Amino acid sequence: MNHPSPEVVLNDDRHLGPLGPKILRIAGGLGIVLLILGLVLGITGSGGGMSRFLFAYTAGFAFILSIALGAMFFVLVNHLTRAGWCATTRRIAEITMGTMPFLAILFLPILISVLMGYGGLFSWADHEIASKDHLIHLKAGYLNPVFFTIRWVIYFAVWMQISRYYLGGSVRQDDSGDPEITSRMQKWSAASILLFALTLTFASFDLLMSLAPHWFSSIFGVYFFAGSVIAFQAFGILVLVLLQRKGKLKKSVSIEHFHDWGKLLFAFVFFWAYIAYSQFMLIWYGNIPEETGWFHTRITGSWGGVALILVFAHFVIPFAGLMSRHAKRNLASLSFWAMWMLIMHCIDIYWIVMPNQGGHGHGEAPGVHFQALDILAIVGLFSLFVAGAAYIGRHCSLVAVKEPRLAESLAFENA
Amino acid sequence: MQASANADPKGESAPVAGILAEFDGPGALKKAAVQIRDAGFTRWDCYSPFPVHGIDPAMGVRPTILPWIILGMGLTGLTIATALQWWTNGVDYPFLISGKPLFGLPANIPIMFELTILLSAFGAFFGALILNDLPKFYRPIFSSKRFKKVTDNGFFIGIEASDPHYDSKKIQSLFRQMGPLSVEEFHDTDPQGALPKAFFRVGIILFLLGLIPLALALKSRHSTSSSPRWHFWRDMDFQPVAKAQRASAFFPDGRVIRPQVEGTFAREQADDNPHLNQGRVNGKFATTFPMKLSMEMLERGKDRFDTYCAPCHGKDGRGQGLVAKRASTLGEGTWVPPSNLVDPRIEKMPVGEIYQAIRYGVRNMPKYGPQIKVEDRWAIVAYIRALQRSQNGTIKDVPEADRGKLK
Repeated sequence: MNHPSPEVVLNDDRHLGPLGPKILRIAGGLGIVLLILGLVLGITGSGGGMSRFLFAYTAGFAFILSIALGAMFFVLVNHLTRAGWCATTRRIAEITMGTMPFLAILFLPILISVLMGYGGLFSWADHEIASKDHLIHLKAGYLNPVFFTIRWVIYFAVWMQISRYYLGGSVRQDDSGDPEITSRMQKWSAASILLFALTLTFASFDLLMSLAPHWFSSIFGVYFFAGSVIAFQAFGILVLVLLQRKGKLKKSVSIEHFHDWGKLLFAFVFFWAYIAYSQFMLIWYGNIPEETGWFHTRITGSWGGVALILVFAHFVIPFAGLMSRHAKRNLASLSFWAMWMLIMHCIDIYWIVMPNQGGHGHGEAPGVHFQALDILAIVGLFSLFVAGAAYIGRHCSLVAVKEPRLAESLAFENA
Repeated sequence: MQASANADPKGESAPVAGILAEFDGPGALKKAAVQIRDAGFTRWDCYSPFPVHGIDPAMGVRPTILPWIILGMGLTGLTIATALQWWTNGVDYPFLISGKPLFGLPANIPIMFELTILLSAFGAFFGALILNDLPKFYRPIFSSKRFKKVTDNGFFIGIEASDPHYDSKKIQSLFRQMGPLSVEEFHDTDPQGALPKAFFRVGIILFLLGLIPLALALKSRHSTSSSPRWHFWRDMDFQPVAKAQRASAFFPDGRVIRPQVEGTFAREQADDNPHLNQGRVNGKFATTFPMKLSMEMLERGKDRFDTYCAPCHGKDGRGQGLVAKRASTLGEGTWVPPSNLVDPRIEKMPVGEIYQAIRYGVRNMPKYGPQIKVEDRWAIVAYIRALQRSQNGTIKDVPEADRGKLK
């Protein structure tokens, strides 16, 4: 069999071109309009008021942050394992994680609410609530606005540095073709993935777990990580399919690459279920009030219905649907499942975040009360995220043309 | 016929088992495989030092059914695990653990998961072996010396003589057209071709040895023995614990029970409220309750009395509980019958003395202090008083409005 030479990639349609500004205009404009609408609804107090808007905003932010972190994992783990198969598709992940500076800006509303001592989002941030609640009071050494700010500065510093280094290095290699860049990136991937794991874990504690400050679960970081990888694999598959539909990357990315992206998505569908169940089972068995409270609000009443949706639609159904190799090698079915998982991940985040609203994260939480501003905030932030990715990727090549493992990736075949 | 130059003379005389052709690299191998496939052969194979991409379609190999075997085995494992746990825990031997449901799904998922994985792995491993016709210690093709290169740098196609289209001359000329490095016939030098006999001998001996433990187990199930049983886990059967009131060489003073540390006292030794804790007022048994009586307290007392006292004293307090009845049926010599709590002797007893009996025990009755909380002890005393009243009451104790109902 004749293996295509790397020149194929050079001749491929591999730039966003006029598509870039178009996405930037449409997605950016849509995002800003939706967010402003949501904010107006929040200020006027309809649909739950400012607190509700901030909760919906946090859910949306956690959703897009998880996609970017999943992309970072994809880049780092493939450098760490010196993977060749993904070389033609890795730039998509690099561009996705390149949105970190935008995410840092989008985090500001959450940070400001904490610094203002607003208890409607993080109840521990409100000094009055914190001083009356014995358990929050005991955790004040960690859960206080100043230390929270310091931690998020560290997280974003690490994430921006990693994404700048890996995206920048890869783009520089497009011109110079210096293989030394690849070996340097491989060398740093070990330390980077360690920092990535620590920052992701603590960021998930801070952003999502501390919404219910009484609750704690040491596996929560892994749970968020599993969802993040699902989110990015699904997002990446959709981006690649849409780009190919626009005639781009048709020679660089083959069904073999999609098959492997699908395998990773399938693997993490199961990994997510494994971790989610591990978290649930220990708490269910231990039956300790501080731990069960979180699950009690989420598996009884109307939130219990959402939990069942997660069990079946986030795990059982896509697990069966993605199992066959034919499902992963058919772009229509693969992109269907990618879309499905992206929505499920969003519901998962919604299920983590929203029951905290109204109950200060403990006590009796209200049931599912879906509000218009929820969708405004989540879709608005996702649109801004897509616009940010289009901004990062508007000039650079969508595939790393001088990547030393390009030939290996083009010749890649699933036996 | 172009026989291999280094074929051993003994092999030449053995029956022909097939034809072997060597090709120059994976590309040539794949091209040749396509032609052999199209010629309609069925009993043949390609041999290479590493997996060759695209060899399956070139050979016309259909996709393996192994995934379906694995899926079937996995579902079997899932079903077995579910049924096993449902039957053992939920039906055959219901045993309540930590107040969880007898068949609660969360507790059973790990076993369901593990057994699914285990049987899937068995299906994958043994299924792959069986589908590949393995393990096999001998194949006729091994008799070719040239074939030893296959684990190093040789690429071969071998067609077996059992193929329905087998025709030695036609096949050899077909191979020659493909530009092979060599073509040769290979011979079945060991038609028995089975395992060495030693394997069977060792296998039979191991099997027979394996029967010994089973036979021993069977024997002991159907016979009696006067010797003590075997202790497999000695540290569980013989624990290094000492019984109260025995001597021990462990401590210098030779006692097992440790004296109270100087300057400390146990919580129940506190005498800040002797009426409540000891049932005494000014050193004498209290005749009043240390708290206000209430219906709630009587209800609690009834509940505790039925749990702790009724087994011996009976629910009516007359000393005819199940334990007492059973003991008098057996005629145990050492048994002291429990007191009748509603007889005049105990009716006249101060409440503090009844309290003390609960707390420290009396005669054969052990102390219930460690099991029953202070408030509950008083609640039981109050309930005993109510029992006494109920057994020895007169019409005057019934409220006038309700007297009519008694008739």
